[in-house]
Amino acid sequence: MNYPVWLLDMFGGGTLIALIAVIHVYVSHFAVGGGLFLVVTEMKGLRENSPAILDYTKKHTRFFLLVSMVFGGLTGVAIWFTIALLSPAGTSSLIHTFVFAWATEWVFFLGEIVSLLLYYYYFNKISSRNHLILGWIYFGCAWVSLFVINGVIDYMLTPGEWLNDNNFWTGFFNPTFWPALFFRTFIALMIAGLFGFLTSVNIKDPEMRHKMTRYCGIWLMAPLVFLLASAVWYKAALPPAQQEMIFTTSPEMKIFLSGFIYLSPVLFAGGLIIAALRPQAVRRPMALFLFLLGLMYIGCFEFMREGGRRPYIIHEYMYSNSILKADLPEYQEKGVLQTAKWVKNRKITPDNRLAAGSELATLLCLPCHSTGGPLNDMLPIARRFTPEGFEAFLGSIGTANPYMPPFAGTKEEAVVLAEYLTTGLIPGLIPHAPVITPVTVAPKPFDPESSEYILLAGAAIGNYLSSTPEESGLDISFGAPLLRAQLIFRDVSPSLILEDATVSYKIQTGKGMLEGTMEATDAYFEAQLAEMPAPLTPFQPFFIAELQAEVEGKIVAVTQTKIGVSTEIGCRNCHGGRYNKEGRGGMTRVTAAGILASHDKRSNTNLSAEFAKGKTVVCSSCHADSSRGTEGKPGLLSLSAAIHGYHAGFISDTERDVCVLCHSSNENGASHSFDGIHKQLDLTCSNCHGILAEHATSLLKQEGENGQATKLLSYLQDKGEVATAEINPRIPWIMEPDCLTCHVEFQPPETDTAFNTWTEDGEELFHNRTGEAGVVLCSSCHGQPHSLYPAKNAYGKEIGALQPLQYQKNPFPIAADKGCAVCHTEDMEDEMHHPGSLATFRNRD
Amino acid sequence: MNAAQLIPTPDVLQVPWGWFQVLLTVTFFMHLVVMNILLGCSIITFLRHASGKSTDVNKAIAGKLPLTVAFTVNFGVAPLLFLQVLYGNFMYTSSVLMAIYWLSIFAIVIFAYYGAYIYTMNYDRIVDYHTVLTGFIAGSLLAVAFILTNNLSFMTNVEAWPAYFNNAEGTLLNFTDRSLFPRYLHSVLGAIAVGGLSIAFYYDLKKRKGDTEAEANIKIGMNWFAGATMLNFGVGTWYWGLLPDSVRSLTGNGSAFFLFFLVLGTVTAILSLIYGLRHKVRPAVYYLLGSLFSMVLVREFARRLTLAPWFKTSDLEVVPQYSPMIAFLVSFAGGLWLIWYMIRLVLTDKEVNS
Repeated sequence: MNYPVWLLDMFGGGTLIALIAVIHVYVSHFAVGGGLFLVVTEMKGLRENSPAILDYTKKHTRFFLLVSMVFGGLTGVAIWFTIALLSPAGTSSLIHTFVFAWATEWVFFLGEIVSLLLYYYYFNKISSRNHLILGWIYFGCAWVSLFVINGVIDYMLTPGEWLNDNNFWTGFFNPTFWPALFFRTFIALMIAGLFGFLTSVNIKDPEMRHKMTRYCGIWLMAPLVFLLASAVWYKAALPPAQQEMIFTTSPEMKIFLSGFIYLSPVLFAGGLIIAALRPQAVRRPMALFLFLLGLMYIGCFEFMREGGRRPYIIHEYMYSNSILKADLPEYQEKGVLQTAKWVKNRKITPDNRLAAGSELATLLCLPCHSTGGPLNDMLPIARRFTPEGFEAFLGSIGTANPYMPPFAGTKEEAVVLAEYLTTGLIPGLIPHAPVITPVTVAPKPFDPESSEYILLAGAAIGNYLSSTPEESGLDISFGAPLLRAQLIFRDVSPSLILEDATVSYKIQTGKGMLEGTMEATDAYFEAQLAEMPAPLTPFQPFFIAELQAEVEGKIVAVTQTKIGVSTEIGCRNCHGGRYNKEGRGGMTRVTAAGILASHDKRSNTNLSAEFAKGKTVVCSSCHADSSRGTEGKPGLLSLSAAIHGYHAGFISDTERDVCVLCHSSNENGASHSFDGIHKQLDLTCSNCHGILAEHATSLLKQEGENGQATKLLSYLQDKGEVATAEINPRIPWIMEPDCLTCHVEFQPPETDTAFNTWTEDGEELFHNRTGEAGVVLCSSCHGQPHSLYPAKNAYGKEIGALQPLQYQKNPFPIAADKGCAVCHTEDMEDEMHHPGSLATFRNRD
Repeated sequence: MNAAQLIPTPDVLQVPWGWFQVLLTVTFFMHLVVMNILLGCSIITFLRHASGKSTDVNKAIAGKLPLTVAFTVNFGVAPLLFLQVLYGNFMYTSSVLMAIYWLSIFAIVIFAYYGAYIYTMNYDRIVDYHTVLTGFIAGSLLAVAFILTNNLSFMTNVEAWPAYFNNAEGTLLNFTDRSLFPRYLHSVLGAIAVGGLSIAFYYDLKKRKGDTEAEANIKIGMNWFAGATMLNFGVGTWYWGLLPDSVRSLTGNGSAFFLFFLVLGTVTAILSLIYGLRHKVRPAVYYLLGSLFSMVLVREFARRLTLAPWFKTSDLEVVPQYSPMIAFLVSFAGGLWLIWYMIRLVLTDKEVNS
């Protein structure tokens, strides 16, 4: 944050340094291995008394000079220039720590130049002994250059104890110094062979050509075994966290890891082939092909090494955005705009939000990301997110996304940056709250004087979510709605009617009328819908079920209930795509593809390929889902634990009600699925379920020793008010917040926190529970969870309270305000349903 | 905007700043000499080819150009390193502001370098392309010189830095600094002078070995040297007039040294010119080297005086660690011995001498 940032657009994100560095590293290793190649080949020529070999050596020296000294030397300077432009603070830190290492390397660079020029210009002009001495001096200087630079490079990867003592020698002879030195020495020898092919295949004499090409093949193949051994040593020398970063955590590293692993035998085989096959038509292209493979080979290694540093430039010392680890708390407290030097918009105002966001992106993101380039492009990432989603994501970097530095700014800066990275970078992505068009639903008529029955009904939960799998190709939906109904014969002592009665339902769906008859149990009528009803058009986040009870063939009661089913599932906030239902709901295939791509990347699955073939991916087919009755595959987390556990690491904001990023109860959304009395009282999801981290922890702890759960839990340690160790595990959908935690003995609550006390089993769930008389379901009088009476639905005030309005002309729970007459034909004096049932409803407007 | 707030905080030194200042001065002087020979000879060769004067001088220069590039680059590394230690917070900043040009240096030099090799290795086969090729080499090196002059002046022109907020794409140049062009011209003319003198020196060596035709070429070299040096007195005066007040006022800390070395550099340049006009090569070389070294010191003091309102190298924090420097000095001495050993190995080789 000390220096200005060069705006590179598409050439950012490491593209520039990758282009220059990989080429230079290839050539510079050639400069080392090739030096030994020259002198050893000359010795071979002298030993065999072969003018042809000596002639080849001389010509190869000229090639070597032009490639290593001119191109290698200049690209080495170019790397220095480039790192100083891309990370001036990092370069300055390196220069000030290792100035004398670099100065020493310069001395040996000078030695290389002098010895190589003399070796080339005095070929065949001085005695062989003296000429060989020059060659050995060249190789010695080149290798010592490698020795010195190796110390600096690996210091960045594993500074080790330097972090504590700041001692030059500790940093130089760091934990990976020796394995890296051996590794680079062996790869330099291999590269000498690869460059040797380029000249040997052009020797005019066929026998000499064959001989020298085979000779180069030995240079390629012989060091490979030692190279791989030193690679294993190198890996072992890395601290475990960095091994994990390279080999596990960073999905981007897989391609380079695979490249390195697979190219090793390919290069070896290539060496055999080019050594064995004589035709020039094979050898020449093969030489070039192997040369390019060698470039890729060392490129893979360098990308992995760089990856092992993430998210630092100097591991555990300076982050990749040039913020010192020690300074991070200050940045997070004061803000980047206040702390960085090269800032124009020091204060965020309504007029400069985008400009301030742009500056934050420049300072925090562009050191590693490009805009529109081939590496680390921000644009595809930005397209995936909404501002809210991106803001949540920013909270996860450094933890769930450990290859990125923690977000260094304040909360306000996170909001502004998220706005810029989405609406600022992506034209047309300007979010706005949808306009809610009211839906008219009139309560059914009810004559308290003449009606003999009442019918109370509702869904088991008030807000189902659907991922519209037929359209999206991804089924992450809740289990289909479960309808419950109780038919009550009105009397002085009302009775529950279950025999000789039928209850049927009709639901207008997007694919026509869904009709059925409910099955009678010993306590209620029930209908488990076979599938999630098709969404209605225009967008409507609920269905109205019409229910009708018949006794002895005669219709005795009718009623309606809302079944809250929303397609406004917030995956698109972070996984790309837009809603396809008038911009309000409906998952698209783009979003589904984004989710599956993430899943494949993180979990080594191949779901995207299945998806691409047109198969609908059903999450609950692998992950157990109690809401759908699936058991999942052994060893995998339950769907609830996986979804919440995984996302809690990314959506780490502990202050906002982040549940609404995924669930359909966002204040600015289209569904407003959470519309019951608790909503009116300004309670949020976290009052009952805990904040996301706590909620996820409870689910993950239920998974026991599952390694994935353990890892995910590690991101969530003590993020909430309740310590992780104190959070009780729970089975999703079965062990839920217990209403009686707050409403002790059905009394007005003395707390607003129900988190961490769960229903013991399914019997205690709200929709299964009855009053103290053991007859009437809680939900029959109070409505559905999340839509408890008096629910105020955004689409119409009647919709959330159809039955109270039908039976008692007010929206309060059935029989509120001593309204016993709904069922009882005379006034009641005993609170037989539950204590307080005869009280006046407390929470009026 | 207060430009001073943009100046980055410097890092900690391992040894007191004076060590780095000495190393910077010495290695920059080495670089300056070789670089001037390269640039000057490139321009001279091009102009000679362009005017149809393709003589032995051109061929002699052609044979040495690649070597000169190699040593110019190598000798440039060390002072750049030590400059970054002392003034990195200024130089990294100016480099970012003009990043595109700054980074293009390596590509331009690579092309010039390969151009030099093509010119050398194919001298007799590409006669028709000598002008174009040497024009390309000289043009490339002039471009590099312009970029370097820009950066080295931009790093001290702190008031111009806020231009970044209107252009962060690395395409700024230090055009707001009125001294940019005279400074550049002063450097280029100096290079031509050194290039001319190096030609004279080369032929003076040949003359001493008995080459009877060398005298004419000494004259050629000396004419370039004398002409360029005389012009440079005028340009130098122009450059002086446009230096910042903090430098010209001669009131700042170190102004006495600045003035002393400026006078010394000017006097030695005049003496060098006098000997040059008389074709006395060696005295001219000695005085010119003296003048160059003095001017290197003038340049250092001018930078210190320019930056004085914001920065002093003496204020840099030091957390001592001497052993790395000792290791470097030992390797430096060893490297010099090794070079001496190699040259001796070649020059005393019986086959060379036979």
